[in-house]
Amino acid sequence: MTVAAAQPLVRRRPPAAVRRKRFLLAVANHSLLIVAAAMFLAPFIFIVLTSLMTNTQALSSHLWPSPFRWENFVDVFRQAPIWRWALNTMIYSVLATLGVLVSSIPVAYALSRIRWRGRNFAFGLVLIALMLPPVVSVVPLYVMWAKLHLVGGLAPLIIPNWFGDAFSIFLLRQFMLTIPEEYLDAARVDGCGELRILATVVLRLAKPAIAAVALFSFLYTFNDFFLPLLYTRENPDWWPLQIGLSEFRSLHQVQWNLTMAATLLVMAPVIVVFFLAQKAFVEGVTLTGVKG
Amino acid sequence: MRRGVIAAVLVVAVLAAVVGATARSSAHAGTKADTITVWVGWSARELQGFKKIAAEYDKQHPEVNVKVVGGINDDKITASIRSGNVPDVVSSFTSANVGSYCKSGAWLDLKPFLSKDHLDVNVFPKTSQYYTQFNGKRCALPFLADVYGFYYNKKMFKAAGLKGPPKTMSQLTAYAKKLTKRGSNGTFKVLGYNPFLGFYAGNAPDLSSYAPLFGAKYVDGSGKSVLSKDPAWGRLLRWQKNLVDYYGYKNLQKFNAGAADEFSASHAFEIGKLAMMIDGEWRVAFIKAEHPGLDYATAPAPVDDSKPNLYGAGYVNGTIIGIPKGVKHKDQAWALLKYLTFNAHPLAQFSNAIRNVPTTKQSLNSKEIKPDAHFKTFLNIFSNANSKTTPITAAGNAYGTLIQAFAVKWQAGHAGDLSKGLQKLDKQINAQLKQAQAGGVP
Amino acid sequence: MTEAAATAAAPFTAERKRARRRAAWRRRRLVLLLMSPWLVGFSVFFGYPLVMSVYLSFTHYDLLSSPKWIGLANYKYLFRDDPQVGQAVKNTIWIIVVMVPLQVLFAFGVAMMLARAKRGGGFFRTVFYLPALAPPVAATLAFVYILNPATGPVNIILSHLGIEGPLWFQSPGWSKPSLVLLGLWGVGNVMIIFLAAVLDVPQHLYESAELDGAGPLQRMRWVTLPTISPVILFSVVIGVIAGMQYFTQAYVASNVASGQASQAGDQTVNNLGYPEGSTLFYPVFLYQHGFREFNMGYASALSVLLLVVAFSVTLFIIVNSRRWVHYAGAVK
Repeated sequence: MTVAAAQPLVRRRPPAAVRRKRFLLAVANHSLLIVAAAMFLAPFIFIVLTSLMTNTQALSSHLWPSPFRWENFVDVFRQAPIWRWALNTMIYSVLATLGVLVSSIPVAYALSRIRWRGRNFAFGLVLIALMLPPVVSVVPLYVMWAKLHLVGGLAPLIIPNWFGDAFSIFLLRQFMLTIPEEYLDAARVDGCGELRILATVVLRLAKPAIAAVALFSFLYTFNDFFLPLLYTRENPDWWPLQIGLSEFRSLHQVQWNLTMAATLLVMAPVIVVFFLAQKAFVEGVTLTGVKG
Repeated sequence: MRRGVIAAVLVVAVLAAVVGATARSSAHAGTKADTITVWVGWSARELQGFKKIAAEYDKQHPEVNVKVVGGINDDKITASIRSGNVPDVVSSFTSANVGSYCKSGAWLDLKPFLSKDHLDVNVFPKTSQYYTQFNGKRCALPFLADVYGFYYNKKMFKAAGLKGPPKTMSQLTAYAKKLTKRGSNGTFKVLGYNPFLGFYAGNAPDLSSYAPLFGAKYVDGSGKSVLSKDPAWGRLLRWQKNLVDYYGYKNLQKFNAGAADEFSASHAFEIGKLAMMIDGEWRVAFIKAEHPGLDYATAPAPVDDSKPNLYGAGYVNGTIIGIPKGVKHKDQAWALLKYLTFNAHPLAQFSNAIRNVPTTKQSLNSKEIKPDAHFKTFLNIFSNANSKTTPITAAGNAYGTLIQAFAVKWQAGHAGDLSKGLQKLDKQINAQLKQAQAGGVP
Repeated sequence: MTEAAATAAAPFTAERKRARRRAAWRRRRLVLLLMSPWLVGFSVFFGYPLVMSVYLSFTHYDLLSSPKWIGLANYKYLFRDDPQVGQAVKNTIWIIVVMVPLQVLFAFGVAMMLARAKRGGGFFRTVFYLPALAPPVAATLAFVYILNPATGPVNIILSHLGIEGPLWFQSPGWSKPSLVLLGLWGVGNVMIIFLAAVLDVPQHLYESAELDGAGPLQRMRWVTLPTISPVILFSVVIGVIAGMQYFTQAYVASNVASGQASQAGDQTVNNLGYPEGSTLFYPVFLYQHGFREFNMGYASALSVLLLVVAFSVTLFIIVNSRRWVHYAGAVK
């Protein structure tokens, strides 16, 4: 057997029958994929088509717009303060994401690379916080913000993110555990204090995880509906895009063509960001699942 | 790197301060003039009508700056009062909620204001006085009223050989069947009458628009719910379900789903897809603005066959307007409120614009009112002695929600035996009223 | 160290001890500094609400006057008299029991197909992932329109095929399945994770199984599934937690679908749960009581109940998972 092991494996061409079977299986697989992909794309296609129809056409049994009404997209901007909504969403997302990063990275570092008594207990608390449905804490928090007169704006949405986010802490900690101690030791030997190690070495090494956390935080806050509903619904000046979109139909008499156009506009930024940062997206999602 | 972090944190801190400071609406924007905010439920064309009379007031009173916000519903009102970001004057279409507003103190008691200015609420019609107070506590004033009547397409009536509007429910059913033109696959080219609860405002699923037409009583003398005891409710629900079943529940659902929004120009009645309907008096203004060529007529709604004396009555409610708790400019708010509700001029002008019923005797008879034959029908219904509104309770409109849940199930055929269902409904409503009055759960 | 050497080194050791204590002190201070934001966050945004929720659940509180202590009255109403809570609980259980397995199966199935596809895998992966990026509000609006029983494309296409489409969001029997369809459209996240895990299964395991005579189904049962079982557990836990918080899609769908049959400005109509309460999920029900009717005491009681259930269920799943989840390195 040693002689055989020393020589490289020779791949023989499998017999024709096997090849045929494999080919048919591949074709079947591909056909299923195409059908599934078509069903996944169909809603997008319907949205696009409807956003180019006139209102009466949208309410009829026509599937194809004729003529193509590109003005719908302009009309959306004229009928609703989309720019203001987008600005509100940006303020919320950017400030919240910044807060998540600034507050969660140090915590994750402390939970992963420094030995201290009670570390495991603290991490356990993070896990417990992870499992808590936010719906549960909503009532007392609302009362608190109401008493502070901050309801009606974005403050109740942004501020909690500056005090750590359990999911981000979890993800960053899991990733930081995989950093080889040698890098940190080398920095320590060079005379770096722990904080400087964190700010320079760890930050650079944990970039994929940090990118993933930033991306998820941005996406989550961009799509957030429940909390903005609670805190900004009464004040249209501070509506983010999602609230604006859900109220768009009742302000302007359910014109489905315009509503679909607005829907498309709201979906667009996320999809654009995705195409620009595809790699980071997929890596990030994988990180959560595989390390989780 | 560290400096960058510090800079970023500073920028963020500044932004956060901006965010927090602007969380509230800019009531401090004006320098000389105080800005008072008015919340109303109207939108689009009707909102323009309100903005016009608000602008008049604004011009006459340079010391205040009136800001109007439209599209408000009761959710937003309740939320804002709870969170402390209240406007100065607030109004609502759901007069049935006045009970909870008054009881909880969410809207301020107006008696001190009224007595200080020596104003008498008897200038308002009795019904409007009723739905703006609860248990003697007056926390709202009426600001134009709504009344429900009957609209029918004269052209279709002529073509079908029908002379006048139906006066009883059985006539309505017969006419509806005659005027209906079915299409293929259960669709309708023309629907004679849509009895589906939930379709447009005339078919409010809490049965409020039908109750006066059957003479149905909600509560007895001691305030207990009597839906199962008053036979009128059974007659109402059975009549309604029979017509729904005649058309086919699913067919009606499809018709409703394909019908345009009630306040769009493609309203089913206005474009000729619906031959008859019960609707509010505001529809007159909408038709004039959107389909002035429509050949239609108005009349009181048909009534229960066993109670022909009720003919001429209809369901009444109206917009209520008041001052929320936590108001910042109390006196200016009251000044505007007083002007809007007691002066004949704004009431008459706004009534002309949106065709709602003026709520003071003076404005009703004002020379500024532009006469309209269609609209006159509704003024008559409004003054009919049998026109009723829904009961005002401590739980606000919560009983309406319970009735609605039952009625919707009933018309789908999911509610089982009618009398048993109504008895259970009575029990639920009584339990709810008891809790609300005791200030208990929930 | 010998006795003599130890005594001779005594001041040195003492010096060392002091240095070590100082270092430990500095480390504790550092840890405190690093952990401080989260310590505050945990107490204020996790601990405080939990305690307050329990307290408020024994009161009647409408935010206009101070909380009024009513003892167990809220719980009595919750378990005995509330006509809607049973439906809310049933709906939430339904959505969890139906949507989570379907999502996991669907994501796994698509991932397996993608793993096998040699060409165009990147394109397909993008197509399947894209809907997961759509904001839930936008996706729900789109689906309510697409599934409109009279004018939506789906029913129009079905009618061309001679099938009478159901009433989708307008029917109490079909509204939840419509939501499940919406949920399946957005499995991209879970699918990507499954794909990565499936691709990570060591090839030699398949080969040795094949040598042992295992067919493709058996290979899946004994190689693929056990190896990716941690990912399955993760998806199930995430899915169950999400199901217990299911709000946005139900809220938007019931508001929009009912708006097609009635009108938005007139608020005598309560649209939550449309039609006939079939989309009244527990979080929506909590929202109705807490933020429409402002029965904050009762809403707190509802949230305490949810907390207890959420915890128990998650714990149950994780504890039970030891039986079927194989972590790397424990492969038989």
